[in-house]
Amino acid sequence: MSERIFGVFLLLLSAGGIFFGWDLKAPISYEPVGPRAFPLLVFALLAVCAVGLVVSKRPATEWAPSPVLLRVGGMFLVVLTYALLFDKLGFVVATTLMSIPLARFFGGSWKQSLVGGTSLGVVLFLLFDRLLDVVLPTGFWLKPLLG
Amino acid sequence: METISHLLDGFAVAASPTNLLICLIGAFLGTVIGMLPGLGPINGVAILLPIAYAMKLPPESALILLVAVYSGCEFGGRISAILINVPGDAGAVMTTLDGYPMAKNGLAGPALSISAVASFTGAIIATIGIIAFAPILANWALAFGPAEYFALMVLALSCLGGLVGDSLLKAMVGVLIGLMISCVGIDSNSGVYRYTFDLIHLSDGIPFIVLVIGLFAVSELLLMLQGHHGGTKALDVTGRTMFNRKEFALTRWTMLRSSVVGFFVGVLPGAGASIASAMTYSMERRMAGKDHCFGEGDVRGVAAPEAANNASAYGSLIPMLTLGVPGSGTTAVLIGALTLYNITPGPTLFQEQPVIVWGLIASLAISSVMLVLMNIPLVRVFVKFLQIPNWLLVPGVAAISMVGVYAVHGTTFDLVVGTLLGGFGFLLRAMNFPMAPFILGFVLGDMMEQNLRRALSISNGELGILFASPISIGLWIAAIAMLLGPRLAKVIDARRKPPATA
Repeated sequence: MSERIFGVFLLLLSAGGIFFGWDLKAPISYEPVGPRAFPLLVFALLAVCAVGLVVSKRPATEWAPSPVLLRVGGMFLVVLTYALLFDKLGFVVATTLMSIPLARFFGGSWKQSLVGGTSLGVVLFLLFDRLLDVVLPTGFWLKPLLG
Repeated sequence: METISHLLDGFAVAASPTNLLICLIGAFLGTVIGMLPGLGPINGVAILLPIAYAMKLPPESALILLVAVYSGCEFGGRISAILINVPGDAGAVMTTLDGYPMAKNGLAGPALSISAVASFTGAIIATIGIIAFAPILANWALAFGPAEYFALMVLALSCLGGLVGDSLLKAMVGVLIGLMISCVGIDSNSGVYRYTFDLIHLSDGIPFIVLVIGLFAVSELLLMLQGHHGGTKALDVTGRTMFNRKEFALTRWTMLRSSVVGFFVGVLPGAGASIASAMTYSMERRMAGKDHCFGEGDVRGVAAPEAANNASAYGSLIPMLTLGVPGSGTTAVLIGALTLYNITPGPTLFQEQPVIVWGLIASLAISSVMLVLMNIPLVRVFVKFLQIPNWLLVPGVAAISMVGVYAVHGTTFDLVVGTLLGGFGFLLRAMNFPMAPFILGFVLGDMMEQNLRRALSISNGELGILFASPISIGLWIAAIAMLLGPRLAKVIDARRKPPATA
């Protein structure tokens, strides 16, 4: 079933791709094949494959039991929030806040998660920003403090 | 003799103190990454690539680091295969069959050391193979025009489709999604914005690193949570760590044979380490006749897949270096590394960037020596890393991945796109879509389009040019054969043997 749904999604995607790709034309053309040919070809083939996914009979995907999937969904949201706040909160705080729930998901105790998460934030910041010269965000709250 | 002088130059590059240190660090990190179940060469290279770039390493040092990580992973995968019966990477699946029984019989030490020597043999034979064949192939490929290139890339993609077994449709979908994503951004020929939806961050397209981290780091971590069930206890390495003379005598020829087979399998696009190790394992089993204990802890069952695994991993560098067309997921990431440094992969690489190519080849040899020297005495140290709990490892990898993405442009946009791609990748992988076609499609997309358009510009729009030269006709035939061959063989097989259940 999930393959079928995905197939329908891909079909809509390729329809959208062809719709938006149709008007891709170069203002001045000096080559026989313009910018739209390749994308249109790809989307057309994708549509064919999508139909194949919808039509074909194949053993259904076995999804993990729903509590597991819920946890995976939760972890995805944590990482997404991390991505959104990475720059604003700064590396140390954001990483600590992300690590604690992730550690809990992977069976760490509260104490382990708190200590582990905080040390990850601090140690990785020192490693990358100070030692390896990979600049990391300090966050809006630290900037005024550092002057 | 030109090759030898180039090779010596390469060693001069790879043996500079900084590069030796980088190689050592890479080899060590690679072993650890390869050993950890869930993380393999592709994840390791994907995570370290942006960091090497952000550290402003010169291109040759960055490649040496990545290649050392790559070979380290191939060495590391066997440790967890032998000690916890979980392959550290795909190539080590066969190693569990005899490695774990050996460890249970108290022979963990000999299993680890013989497999380290086997890995080393595979690596060195494949390095010699690269030195012997790569320059010839690159020279020959110089004659390729855009039409031949286009056909070659179709061949590379169809090899993947042909070899993934029954899910041809899924592999095709993966390739096409990869090609689709590669279309996003400004079209370099005409300056037209394609599928950017007026988002300024999309005008350069989706950065390679963002895609790779999303697909191979974020989605991997999500999969790890799905498969998470407590810890697995590693067996202890007790008793002797070295193999004895008898074990070596038994596996000598196994190693050599498996290395050669592994190398040639690795050169084929799409094949790669898991196929090579499975092939050589069954080959050795058949050759052993009655006198064996395969499956219950035969040393040859550890030596064969490990030698083949490393040889094929190195062999798969040949199409990447000589043709600029990657044949596996990891080499696709390495191609991405080259383009990140504005180096155009392809047959001209050997002439235009001899320092990089030969430095890379020399570092293959150097890292193999380092790895075998490191792996035998330090095996107990490495085993300690298997005890890193997932509650520390996973957030750590997540944070390091984000550091890598952030290092490229420093925008929240990239981080969010990477995470979303990670979620998408998780769904695809949960539905058993293979990821290698996806990344290959993305890497080859731009090259394919450029070569197609160039070819058609030459012929003024005449499609016949794609099938004009004997080389391209041969490549097209090979592509069709790769797609249909395995299926045809299956159909014929089924006809010959009436199904038992009918």
